Amino acid sequence: MHFPGKFPGKGKKVRLSSKEAGTKLRRLAPRSEKSAGSSPGTRRGRLVSAGYLFPSALGVLLFFVLPFMIVIFYSVVDNPISRQFVFLDNFVSVFNNSAFRQAAGNTMTFSLVAVPLAVVLSLMLAMLLESKIPFRSQFRTFFLSPMMVPIASVVLIWQVLFHYNGMMNEVLAFFGRDRVDWLNSSFAQVVIVVLFLWKNLGYNMILFMSALSSIPKDILEVAVLESATPFQIFWHIKLRYMSSTILFVTIMSLINSFKVFREIYLLKGDYPYDTMYMLQHFMNNTFSRLDYQKMSAAAIMMAIVMVLIIGALFLTENYFGKDVEG
Amino acid sequence: MKKHFGKNPASGGRSMDNLSDERWDKEVRKKKKIRDARHLVRVCLATTVAACFAVLFLMPIVLTVTNSFMSASEISSNYGQVFATSDTGGKMYIAEKVNLKFIPDMVSFSQYITVLFKSPEYLFKFWNSVILVVPIVAFQLLVAAGASFGFTRYRGRIREIIFFVYIILMLMPYQVTLVPNYLVSQWLHLLDTNWAIWLPGIFSPFAVYLLTKYMRRIPVSMMEAAQIDGAGEWQIFRHICMPLCKGAMCSIAILLFIDYWNMVEQPLILLSDQEKHPLSVFLSKINAGEIGLAFAVATIYMVPPILVFLYGEDYLVEGITYQGGIKG
Amino acid sequence: MKKNRKLILTAILAVLMTMLWGCGGEGGSQDETDGYVYVPEYVQMDVDCTYINSVTSLGDSVIMNAIKWDEESQESSNFLYRYDLAKGEGETIPLAVGEDDNIGAMTAGADGSLAMVVNSYTYETDENGEPTNYKSSITLWSVSAEDGSIKSQKDINEVFGNSQDGGTYVQNFCVDGQGNFYLDDGNNTIYVLDQDMNKICEIKADNWIRSMAASKEGDVYISTYGENGLEMRKVDIAAKKLGEPQTGLASGYGNQDFITGSTKSFLMDNRSQVSLYDLSTQTEEALFSWLDVDINSDNVSQRGELSDGRVWALTRDYGSEGADGPEFELILLSRKEASQVPQKEKIVYGAMWVDSNVKKAIIDFNKTSDKYRITVKEYGEAVEDYQAAQTQFNADLTTADCPDIIGLNSLDYHLYASKGVLEDLYPYMEKSGINKADYLENILGAYESDGKLYGLIPAFYVSTTMAKASQVGDKTGWTLSEMLEFAEGREENLFAYGSRSSIFYYCIYNNIDEFIDWESGKCFFDSEDFIKTLEFAAKYPEEYDYQADREEGISSRIRSDKVLLLDSSISSVQEFQMLTGMFGEKVSFLGYPNSERKGNLVQATGGCMGLSSKSKHKEGAWEFMQRLLSEEYQDSMLSEHGNSFGFPVKKSALEKQFELDMTPDYFEDEDGNKTENAKTSWGWDDFQMDIMAATQEEVDAVRSLIESAEKVSGSVDEQLVNIITEESEPFFKGQKSAADVAGIIQNRIQIYVNENS
Repeated sequence: MHFPGKFPGKGKKVRLSSKEAGTKLRRLAPRSEKSAGSSPGTRRGRLVSAGYLFPSALGVLLFFVLPFMIVIFYSVVDNPISRQFVFLDNFVSVFNNSAFRQAAGNTMTFSLVAVPLAVVLSLMLAMLLESKIPFRSQFRTFFLSPMMVPIASVVLIWQVLFHYNGMMNEVLAFFGRDRVDWLNSSFAQVVIVVLFLWKNLGYNMILFMSALSSIPKDILEVAVLESATPFQIFWHIKLRYMSSTILFVTIMSLINSFKVFREIYLLKGDYPYDTMYMLQHFMNNTFSRLDYQKMSAAAIMMAIVMVLIIGALFLTENYFGKDVEG
Repeated sequence: MKKHFGKNPASGGRSMDNLSDERWDKEVRKKKKIRDARHLVRVCLATTVAACFAVLFLMPIVLTVTNSFMSASEISSNYGQVFATSDTGGKMYIAEKVNLKFIPDMVSFSQYITVLFKSPEYLFKFWNSVILVVPIVAFQLLVAAGASFGFTRYRGRIREIIFFVYIILMLMPYQVTLVPNYLVSQWLHLLDTNWAIWLPGIFSPFAVYLLTKYMRRIPVSMMEAAQIDGAGEWQIFRHICMPLCKGAMCSIAILLFIDYWNMVEQPLILLSDQEKHPLSVFLSKINAGEIGLAFAVATIYMVPPILVFLYGEDYLVEGITYQGGIKG
Repeated sequence: MKKNRKLILTAILAVLMTMLWGCGGEGGSQDETDGYVYVPEYVQMDVDCTYINSVTSLGDSVIMNAIKWDEESQESSNFLYRYDLAKGEGETIPLAVGEDDNIGAMTAGADGSLAMVVNSYTYETDENGEPTNYKSSITLWSVSAEDGSIKSQKDINEVFGNSQDGGTYVQNFCVDGQGNFYLDDGNNTIYVLDQDMNKICEIKADNWIRSMAASKEGDVYISTYGENGLEMRKVDIAAKKLGEPQTGLASGYGNQDFITGSTKSFLMDNRSQVSLYDLSTQTEEALFSWLDVDINSDNVSQRGELSDGRVWALTRDYGSEGADGPEFELILLSRKEASQVPQKEKIVYGAMWVDSNVKKAIIDFNKTSDKYRITVKEYGEAVEDYQAAQTQFNADLTTADCPDIIGLNSLDYHLYASKGVLEDLYPYMEKSGINKADYLENILGAYESDGKLYGLIPAFYVSTTMAKASQVGDKTGWTLSEMLEFAEGREENLFAYGSRSSIFYYCIYNNIDEFIDWESGKCFFDSEDFIKTLEFAAKYPEEYDYQADREEGISSRIRSDKVLLLDSSISSVQEFQMLTGMFGEKVSFLGYPNSERKGNLVQATGGCMGLSSKSKHKEGAWEFMQRLLSEEYQDSMLSEHGNSFGFPVKKSALEKQFELDMTPDYFEDEDGNKTENAKTSWGWDDFQMDIMAATQEEVDAVRSLIESAEKVSGSVDEQLVNIITEESEPFFKGQKSAADVAGIIQNRIQIYVNENS
């Protein structure tokens, strides 16, 4: 192999070549944790590449790990002023706090509903744009546009749509239904799920579109030749090939599902109706009342749950992803 | 075309007969017509669905832009009550019916004139946004490129653990780390300076995560081959990884830009000097008094992200092609 | 197509960027005060006067129009006093001003003379020589600054037209580089006269003109309140209109004044910070804050800049009684390197906002202490987002850089005490030999928690509800249901100024603990009482219309039972006398509704502060705080003539105040006959009363009122107020039922309660 002219760095070319290269590679040297060391890495090489990692690691240590250590510290002291060590008392009291339970429950329900919906709906949108409809690239751009809308417009629109005196109730009234107080009832969850989907479908869709386009064409053609139904093609080939993308989208949606707090906050303030009350509300409020210990304990419990979820996703990926992806 | 070729031999028996051949031809044409019609219906249906979604998704942008051509008084009479606040800073109940209004009664440029010529503070805030966001995006990418390379080249147990830690940190909501961040910034004497925003931004694990996942898809054989040819780590990084990751870097840059362009909480807490606040803070705190200008400000504010987006859209699709699983 | 879009947007961005570069250099005020400090120097003026009317600077001199009131001859004399700050000499210059002339405005003219606007009054008298009517006229004078002689003068009544019958009072006055005169009549109009005092033009401003001055360069600028706060515009007499607003100035609705500068165009003063503004570069440069130079900005009556960059200020202290009228001080501020100034231990007073009395006490403390210097950090001052400021304040409390003294004004001290932020002050009092028993136990008790004292207040007043004993019975308190029962059917005639939010404050916010049981973590906003309160509040207007029902005054409404409950505060025996006088019969002090029937509330006045438990300068901080409790400070708050605001917390001082209140003032005529004189005259609306010495009964009533107050008022969390205000509105608008909105309020507040229990 010649170097470096061989790699022009054009995305498309890589896409074609990497699949072959990837499969070939797996045969030669299966990529696993064991094999990582077996690449011709000398001690020196390992050190040099660690040097590349160093700036980031240092910054992360200072601006992310250290703050997180502070969080851990606060979670085991009685309050941020006197700082008496109380070990797990905060965790017990936060866990028994009904507001925390409410918040954790709401956050979990929200994530459980919104994240799968975001995955499924964006996948459907991606499939929709896959079929040869006119103005594809325009639609793609349109779907991504909510990412760019300033929050003031978002809040305005959501207020106007879902307020008791807003447009949705006008529509309901038109069909002769009773008015619903969207933001002050159990419907509040629905409203924020819709808001979340509206904001995030576009980006997820893009992820799926690129995954769809990278499915090897020959496999699809073979499937068609073997008269597989579109559903079979979707279920056995496309989905299989996209399994890791699905997991990735899930992670991204999970991250973004925590960001929806900003909109809820601007819609209803610190203490919304209880169905909209999220963990971030709990953390925000306990923080502003100087209850750092409560906030920290809640954050750590949340982190633990997160570690479990991600660990589970890792395992899932290992289980499904191995056979198709290089 | 291929499909027809595949089917023709199967029905070859009938093609011997001239008449039936003609009939067959008719049949095929009919079938094709039906299929075409079906296809057309499907496309129409798909387009309609897509169009419906597009309308929903585009509404806010369109609303923002058209409303920016309303006069301040028209806007206040429309939405004033939505943004009204009480004496104690609380929200007010919207007592009258509210509706979105897309078409101005009279097109007026007064908002733009005020924002662009009469009140320089908005342009300053805009400038602040640029100053805060651009270095974060540029340097986060730079740091992330190095780190991803570090994570890609060797994948020992320790690095895997570090990478896992990155993912966990990336998933932490900002509410958790904001206060400790404040304390750390205070400790480092960064408070009230742009560094308090820049540094945590630059070292954010988000780009590292995305880029590592991408880089790990680059066939190891390429790097190994280069290594055998005598290339050092720097050359591998510079001449193999970087060119291959260009698309991914662009797509990550777009994501980062849009994310930081809309940041609100960090500047509010870490910069007490309002003159340093970016425009996004203003846009999140609109009240009834400012709503008259908000749409023009918002429209101007959307220009850079849209621009970044239009320039990088192709990369956005291409760049993430390789992002597969979470672990990479 | 796409390319075009990109191009268009890029072009827009390019234009935006160019505009930014265009004004890039202009904005923002640089802080160049690092390493330098301004040091005050008190100038000895040898002027004998009762009052200083107007002041202006002329070169390096300060010229004052002084007035002396002669007790014996009962006549006033009007003269000029010129103090040359460069030389340090003062001289008195006579001025030919008549008895009925008043110098309305004075400013430095272009040629080194003084320009004055003089209002003259001529009285018409009836046959007995009593004045019946007066006429005023207005003249413009040019006066020599050397000998006070009038160089020229002209009657300028016609200039203003005949729009005003009572004569014109000139609000702002200045002279530009060409010697043209600019007069602002306070009605948004600037009248410009040439150097021969002939009218050139009138220029209209959109709004009230806050301030007007000529720049160092000789152009005249005004400031008015525009869309984005105070705007500064040039008065362009060539175009006969106002120019575009200047940029590079801190915007806002503050009290920004500007004065002709000597080194830069203008000297700016926003009552907290003094800065220089340069017109050519459109930049503002901060000089110092008044607090840092130990000057109470409320007292500054005029300031100016000398040619060497020093700044002078003339202050008058209304607070210092004893002397005849206010006390004037001329202060010269010069810039010194910080290292040359003796270093003192720095103590930080941190608060969301700082009470003006506290500022005054800090200035006094800084002036006298050799060891400590208190600096003030006001977190909530002029911020966009009060909540973010509160977050910063709270975050700072947990760090090593925490404020040493924590201002608790409008903050809930319970919250901070329970988090361990505040020190118990009793041990400190003990250590300094301050006996707790010398102070009003119930007032200290209001700031106690578990027997520990967390807040220190020098003075207070009591909030209560007054009602005729004949109506409500001879009671000292009532519960909410008793109150609502009483109100039933009497809503029309209950409060003097009733609105929905005032009802909420009255019934709920001052009594929030009735609705929240912290022990069990339950709240009761869906209770009968709350729903009844909602229905009760619904009978009141959203906002009280202060313009309406003017035909009958409040006292006559009280007497004719049209105002049954008077929600009021009592801050002095005189106020008590006046308010009971308004009722004209026996009054019950019911306080706010409360289940224990103890609804009289303590309100701190003159500051409320705690000592930070993390402070590294507790000694110094306490040094300041204990001063507020000292006999000296407590006695300094006493007032002989009933113009105090608030009662002192020290028992002895309170008794002294009562003593003073009961001591009659006498007037001795020429024959030596003593007649009792009114201490003060006080009234409210249609009611006016001469306050004589208080009787023992009145003082006793005040004393028992004070003793009954055990709780601090107004510490309800704004979060709750916001929720209740927002969610009760649909009920008031008739869109939801009271029970529905109560349910939503209950739901939202329950989270608040759960979170904190």
